Amino acid sequence: MIEIEHLSKHYGDNIVVDDVSFAVGDGEIAVVVGTSGAGKSTLLRMINRLVVPNTGRVLIDGQDTATLPEDELRHRIGYVIQGYGLFPHRTVAENISTVPRLLGWDRRRIAARVEELLDLFQLDPGEFAQKFPHQLSGGQQQRVGVARALAAKPALLLMDEPFGSLDPVIRGKAQDDLLAIQRRLGTTIVLVTHDMNEAFHLGDRIAVMDQARLLQYAKPADLLTHPAEAFVEQLVGTAERPFRLLSLVTVKDAMEPGSAEGEPITVSATLRDALAQLIWRGRPALPVTDASGAPVGRISVDGILKHGRASLS
Amino acid sequence: MSTRAVTFRAAALLLLVVFVTRPQLFAFAFVPLTANNAPAIYNQGSLLALTLSHVRIVFLATLASTILAVALAIFVTRPAGREFLPLSRSLVNIGQTFPPIAVLAIAVPLVGFGEKPTFIALFLYGLLPIFENTLAGLTEVSPRTLEAARGMGMNAWQRLWQVELPLALPVILAGIRLSVIISLGTATIGSTVAAKGLGEVIIAGLQSNNVAFILQGGLVVALLAVLIHDGLGLAERAAARRLGRPLDEIA
Ligand SMILES: Nc1ncnc2c1ncn2[C@@H]1O[C@H](COP(=O)(O)OP(=O)(O)OP(=O)(O)O)[C@@H](O)[C@H]1O
Ligand SMILES: [Mg+2]
Repeated sequence: MIEIEHLSKHYGDNIVVDDVSFAVGDGEIAVVVGTSGAGKSTLLRMINRLVVPNTGRVLIDGQDTATLPEDELRHRIGYVIQGYGLFPHRTVAENISTVPRLLGWDRRRIAARVEELLDLFQLDPGEFAQKFPHQLSGGQQQRVGVARALAAKPALLLMDEPFGSLDPVIRGKAQDDLLAIQRRLGTTIVLVTHDMNEAFHLGDRIAVMDQARLLQYAKPADLLTHPAEAFVEQLVGTAERPFRLLSLVTVKDAMEPGSAEGEPITVSATLRDALAQLIWRGRPALPVTDASGAPVGRISVDGILKHGRASLS
Repeated sequence: MSTRAVTFRAAALLLLVVFVTRPQLFAFAFVPLTANNAPAIYNQGSLLALTLSHVRIVFLATLASTILAVALAIFVTRPAGREFLPLSRSLVNIGQTFPPIAVLAIAVPLVGFGEKPTFIALFLYGLLPIFENTLAGLTEVSPRTLEAARGMGMNAWQRLWQVELPLALPVILAGIRLSVIISLGTATIGSTVAAKGLGEVIIAGLQSNNVAFILQGGLVVALLAVLIHDGLGLAERAAARRLGRPLDEIA
């Protein structure tokens, strides 16, 4: 659990973060969105004290971070930045083992951890461990950057536009991988992004910032149905709203009993994907199957629309 | 490295070693340059001993310049030393603009004849390339890399040793190489204040109007310079290759 309490930061007369408070539960992903210069990075960097706040405090599991030695605090918090900041003179294995080495782990434990992480991020240790960052693609560097941040098993991970320099296809894959890994490890994540789609895809809660202030901190669906200010409404996109809502709900919640003809859809697909399929196939309804492929019901255009209207009202 | 490059380097090294240990073998080549039956090969001392002391003083002076210049460059790139950057730049620049011969003239009355004044002149003259290169190498380290290092909990000392210096190493080595090459040539003037070195051969040639001597002294210094330049260049490239920089960038 991390609690951010009345954090403020100013440089001279320029107020960069203005009295921001919110809390992130264990194993949750909080996404901070907002326009450029809103103070997102500064807010994030105050959590690991790369920036020292003027007022306010950050508690991690009830402990005030200002009471810990800086380096010790940062050893416990994973940090990923845009461009990844990999050490160009160190191999992938050496990059990943940075924090464990600072912590004085023994060699065998470090080697085992590096291998485990490379496997987790689908990088073959035999092929990648001894490569240098310049020999990797952008997507591979990104994975090494996250693996490095997770090396010492931090309970908290800070990510500042971690997917910012990836192309859309790789980015989608990287987001899915992050979600899968996060669900598995139970890591708490605070992630900064410009990309609203990314925020809705990853966030358990979304913090909207504008001009140094936190305008709203809420679950994605609440942000869509009850935007606190005009700015939030504008940011989430009025026209996009119904579609975003549909992308937050899975087929399971709008499924009907019965069967239908055609290409089946899985229960875990989002309503947005299901609607797209229905339109594309030109059918009023399609069969639904579970993960093993067994039929469990049907999903119809009418059912989706009914669900959409219910959640908007 | 191609076989031709290896052969060429081996040949140059062999030539140098044979020439300074058995100079008489080459007398035939120098006889045409002498007049009035003057000796064709330097005969007032051992070429080998002169070469070794020449290399020794260059090595010691460069070592001292390296230690001071690198330490100074590190200091002025830390937050605490930043305000001293302009001052140390001008000091080091003065060291370079002051002609070594003038340094000798000033140093001799203070420290006497011999190796000491030569050492001082070479030391001062060698500071600038190393200082400027170390400065460039340290300031070129990407802010993103440093931010990552800080974010992972490296303290200032760990950042310097584990990130900044290794990344700056190829550029620092290039500065040292430049400084060594300048010193190898400049050290010949040390013989005017009685430091042992290859300058003796050249001066002896000038005094007795013997072109063969002058050429011998020059030849040994040139061979030394080529070989050392080349050897340090290899070290630099090895360091740069680890960073994945294209090789021509530091050529
Ligand atoms: N060290 C600093 N000194 C002075 N001003 C700063 C400093 N760091 C940030 N700022 C200012 O604070 C404001 C917010 O910066 P910040 O990097 O937090 O924004 P951001 O929301 O992350 O923007 P972006 O989306 O472009 O990354 C900017 O106006 C920036 O110029
Ligand atoms: Mg930012």
